[in-house]
Amino acid sequence: MLWLERRIVTALAGPDDQRTGGAITEFVDTSFAAMPQHLRLGVVGESLLLGAFVILRYAPKASDADIVAAMASWEHNPIGVIRQYARLLTSLVTFAQQELMPE
Amino acid sequence: MTRTISTEVLIIGSGAGGAVTAARLAEAGRSVIVAEEGPWYDPDAHQPSSLDEFTARYRHQGACAALGSPGIAFAEGRCVGGSTEINMGLYHRLPERFVDLWRTTYSIADFDVATLRHYADEVESVVKVSRLPGAVPASSAVLSRGADELGWRNVEFARVYSYDEGGHGTKQSMSRTMIPRAVAAGAVVQADCTVRSLTSSGRRVTGARATLRHPDGSTEPVAFRADDVFVCGGAIQSPALLQRSGFRHNIGAGLKFHPTVKVAARFDHPYDHEEVPVHRVTEFDPYLTIGGSASRRGHVALALVDSAPGDLDRLLEHWQNVVVYYAAIRSSGSGRVTALPGLRAPLVTYSLRDSDLSRLARGLVHLGEMLLAAGAKELFPSIAGGPIVRCRADLAQWWGALNRAQSNLMTVHLTSTIRMGDDSALTGADSFGRVWDSDNLFVNDASLLPDAPGVNPQAAVMTIAARNADAYLAR
Repeated sequence: MLWLERRIVTALAGPDDQRTGGAITEFVDTSFAAMPQHLRLGVVGESLLLGAFVILRYAPKASDADIVAAMASWEHNPIGVIRQYARLLTSLVTFAQQELMPE
Repeated sequence: MTRTISTEVLIIGSGAGGAVTAARLAEAGRSVIVAEEGPWYDPDAHQPSSLDEFTARYRHQGACAALGSPGIAFAEGRCVGGSTEINMGLYHRLPERFVDLWRTTYSIADFDVATLRHYADEVESVVKVSRLPGAVPASSAVLSRGADELGWRNVEFARVYSYDEGGHGTKQSMSRTMIPRAVAAGAVVQADCTVRSLTSSGRRVTGARATLRHPDGSTEPVAFRADDVFVCGGAIQSPALLQRSGFRHNIGAGLKFHPTVKVAARFDHPYDHEEVPVHRVTEFDPYLTIGGSASRRGHVALALVDSAPGDLDRLLEHWQNVVVYYAAIRSSGSGRVTALPGLRAPLVTYSLRDSDLSRLARGLVHLGEMLLAAGAKELFPSIAGGPIVRCRADLAQWWGALNRAQSNLMTVHLTSTIRMGDDSALTGADSFGRVWDSDNLFVNDASLLPDAPGVNPQAAVMTIAARNADAYLAR
């Protein structure tokens, strides 16, 4: 996983990732590894570009709240692949979070 | 040095098509090896639709999509038994209205209602098609109650389930039915075996190059030598393998599936989430079907997150009150599967037509009408920022909300990438699945269906696979 991807998972999952022993991060990581390579390549490209944006926009250090706000704005971005990037990460984290958390 | 494994018939893939083919050929005395890319799991090892099951049995852990506007997520099984291990087990014979249409459009020989009925009867005697012995799940009764309120036709569909005296059901997937029959008749199932490409000499396929994964994690290249080869990897993997092996005539074009939009319905009391709904609203058949989905906590959250991201935590406090339903359409659009040089997974694209979007919007509104009539209090569509509906008047907002930018669509029934029929201008294989340009290479899976049939295609795939296997044996 790249820096931005890990930061997004941490920000969206909050303390749940620690509670599950990092299982949410692991699920997202293995999902990326299992993705078709051409799709993963596209996601990597977006992570690099959007990661650079986050670093510049929220310098010196992006907080979890900054990341969550950025994701919320990307979900309504006019560019389709950015919307899909946000949806993909939100879906993976949400599914893992709800499936892995004890009742 | 590469190990060579010889057999009379090599079958690549062990899903609905491959397993039926293996059972019939092995029982007829043929020497059969089934090469399955995925592992061989105990069918009870994972809870249905759980994260564990996604990780273990789904190709790409379920994270795959047909690119287009919009992209459409899809899922395939990747284990012994293929997608029959991960689907809901709903069973629908091929609607008879398609038999004549497909036969005449694609010049399919010996393709008539009586023939298919004969093979469907045979298949059903093995997979134990039945209805729930007791009361249907409450989430299923929602569909019948809502449809009845509106005067719409609805039915309880059968499933490939076997029930014990206590009413406990066991899904009769391929790993429980056709695969054991094939093995009992002498077939060898080679799990964890990825076929890279087919080998050929002139018009004859001579076998395949593959990689075996051993339990210790090591890999071994192997070469299969076979008199005849059946490719049964499903509508995505089969055309990709054929393209990688140099077969391209009408291979990979014409992908069809049922684009599907979902709604999370919140009720004022909890529902049992163990069983999936078995009712379907058939009022708009065959172009639009309404039914119920898996509704584990994770699925409920996914269905809510598009339209209620800020309210997710509150809604999930009572997630048992929420059930996920869907509207699926027969699409006039189509897609393509393209093998990419050097990459294992093919590129999948789909062109959704404006008329498809209109039909999906209509389906979404009908689904909302039905759920409100059944007593739902709030409806959350799988549309980013989509309007939450609380009464019938709110439904009008959904007509414009379901657009290419905001809709979140998915599908599971993938077909038609190597159509069958004797009109070679339109098809990739003859009337019994033999690939054009080869004398001994056959396809026998969902790729052969000329179109998506508007229902779960497993029964059609199994029926046609049995018919084609018998045609092969009679050659």
